[in-house]
Amino acid sequence: MNLALKEMKKNKVRFVILGSIVFLVSLLTFIISGLANGLSQDNAALIKDLPAGQFYMNEDADETYNLSRIDSSTQDEILSKQKDAVAFSIQMGFINDKAGKQQSVAFVTATDSPLFANVKHQEIILDSSLKDKGIQIGDTVTNNQFSGKFIVKDFVEQKKYSHAPVAYISMEDYQEIYRVKEMQLVFTPDGDASQAYTGLQAFSKSDFLNTIPSYSAEQMSLNMIVWFLVVISGMLFAIFFYMMNVQKIGLYGILKAIGLKTSKLFKMIWTQMIVITVISLVLSITLSQVFNQFAPQGMPFSLSFATITQLSIVFLIIGFIGATISGIQIKKIQPLQAIQQGEV
Amino acid sequence: MTQFTMENVRKTFTNGEVQEEILKGINLTLKEGEVTALVGASGSGKSTLLTIAAGLQPTTDGQVIFEGKNMTTLSADQVRQVRASKFGFVFQFAHLVPFLTVEEQLLLMLEVSESPLKKHEQQREVERILKLVGMDHRKNAYPSSLSGGEKQRVAIARAIIHKPKVLFADEPTASLDSKRSKDVMELIRNLTKTLNITTLMVTHDEEMLMYTDQVIKMNDGKILQNVN
Ligand SMILES: Nc1ncnc2c1ncn2[C@@H]1O[C@H](COP(=O)(O)OP(=O)(O)OP(=O)(O)O)[C@@H](O)[C@H]1O
Ligand SMILES: [Mg+2]
Repeated sequence: MNLALKEMKKNKVRFVILGSIVFLVSLLTFIISGLANGLSQDNAALIKDLPAGQFYMNEDADETYNLSRIDSSTQDEILSKQKDAVAFSIQMGFINDKAGKQQSVAFVTATDSPLFANVKHQEIILDSSLKDKGIQIGDTVTNNQFSGKFIVKDFVEQKKYSHAPVAYISMEDYQEIYRVKEMQLVFTPDGDASQAYTGLQAFSKSDFLNTIPSYSAEQMSLNMIVWFLVVISGMLFAIFFYMMNVQKIGLYGILKAIGLKTSKLFKMIWTQMIVITVISLVLSITLSQVFNQFAPQGMPFSLSFATITQLSIVFLIIGFIGATISGIQIKKIQPLQAIQQGEV
Repeated sequence: MTQFTMENVRKTFTNGEVQEEILKGINLTLKEGEVTALVGASGSGKSTLLTIAAGLQPTTDGQVIFEGKNMTTLSADQVRQVRASKFGFVFQFAHLVPFLTVEEQLLLMLEVSESPLKKHEQQREVERILKLVGMDHRKNAYPSSLSGGEKQRVAIARAIIHKPKVLFADEPTASLDSKRSKDVMELIRNLTKTLNITTLMVTHDEEMLMYTDQVIKMNDGKILQNVN
């Protein structure tokens, strides 16, 4: 006999209350984690979309890529040794569009590599978000430090850095704007940390992302909120089941008195926890997908299937732990307690 | 043939520093097909004796012998199994499961006692027992919609559906009026006779003694007299 479902059917209200709280908490978790992920894309898609590998910057740069200058002989040495290696630089700046309006962009230039857009002198390739600002292929855009004009050659999808759209330009034009000969960084795909070069410091991708000042601060606070919510939902289960169990001590006592196994009582609360969690998760996943579709334009939101699965599993595990902790008291209940407690 | 005896059973409760002996050497024998009443002043240890006999709490000393086995040496799970398959209980309050219908209460008991009956046979047995206690017309009702007497009759049905060898009842009529009390007592007596159960029942009510075969009187943790 399925006691768990029969109880839920008879006491719909209390289980619906628990379910709706779990639903709200998990929905909030999904949305915040979608936002965290969206912001991280918005902040560093340029870097995140690169394959796994090693980033190198000058040891004297104090872990700040902006201050890094890689001297050209070292750069040549790496690029000749590792065939897919690429040297690149990033600087925040502005372009003026046709109408003379300033748009903030992240200028990126790189040596020849399939990982970065390939642009010629006086050409520019922009992130597609600038299309929404009215820029089109064939437009000419300018920069105050640049003597010539850029022709918009193409757009690329989802290339953002530091919340600004990326603008790929040639090394020649970059050197004119920023008046530097050296590149800031070298990236070696598939490279491993053991490959050291004198005068350079190596970073894995996640280490490098954390050197971007706004990136780690943003991600840390959002991820902290996500984990708080997950822990809160576990506590909710523990507290809610604990309170229900306290009310049901008499019932558990009588079930034990007539000979029900304690393990059956545990299965009962586990079943209830799983039913509630699964229903709540299905609802909140559906709603977060709807939110994904209709999120306001300016709000970076990106919730991947992997994140949803991962968080759902965490919710189930935490719920299980919460329910089990509350169930420990069931183990201690003696059949006699029921009989002494009077009517249940 | 006797199948339930208690030999020199003692029970001591420890409350902090204070030790109190509640049962001071109980010897008794229960007979098959007989209702034995346990009477005595409040606090004399009747409920304690009954719950020890029923395997709901351990003894401090002595033996409880059922079907030739000393219950006090069995493991907790073995005692649970005996309770589930061989014992039935009725207490002052019915203690029904609030979210199960009358019918489901009995089906649960059959499940817990690992009844060998098939699904449809179980269903038929439930019908039969409910008719016996006069509750067949309320088989789909939940406990909250039953009167006190009706609940108690369902509790009795649950206590006997799995054909227990021993039925324990602690003041089963205490929450009922005198008319209902008599009905319930008559029911317990009839079931004891027809199903050949061994019944031990605590009661405060002198009137109920006419339904019993043996009366055991307790005082201060000891058996005073044994009236047949
Ligand atoms: N778990 C316990 N811990 C301590 N003392 C207990 C415990 N259970 C019972 N007692 C004590 O044992 C004595 C006998 O209790 P018991 O319930 O057996 O009496 P009773 O004869 O059934 O009384 P009543 O007729 O009022 O139901 C009482 O003094 C009671 O306080
Ligand atoms: Mg009592």
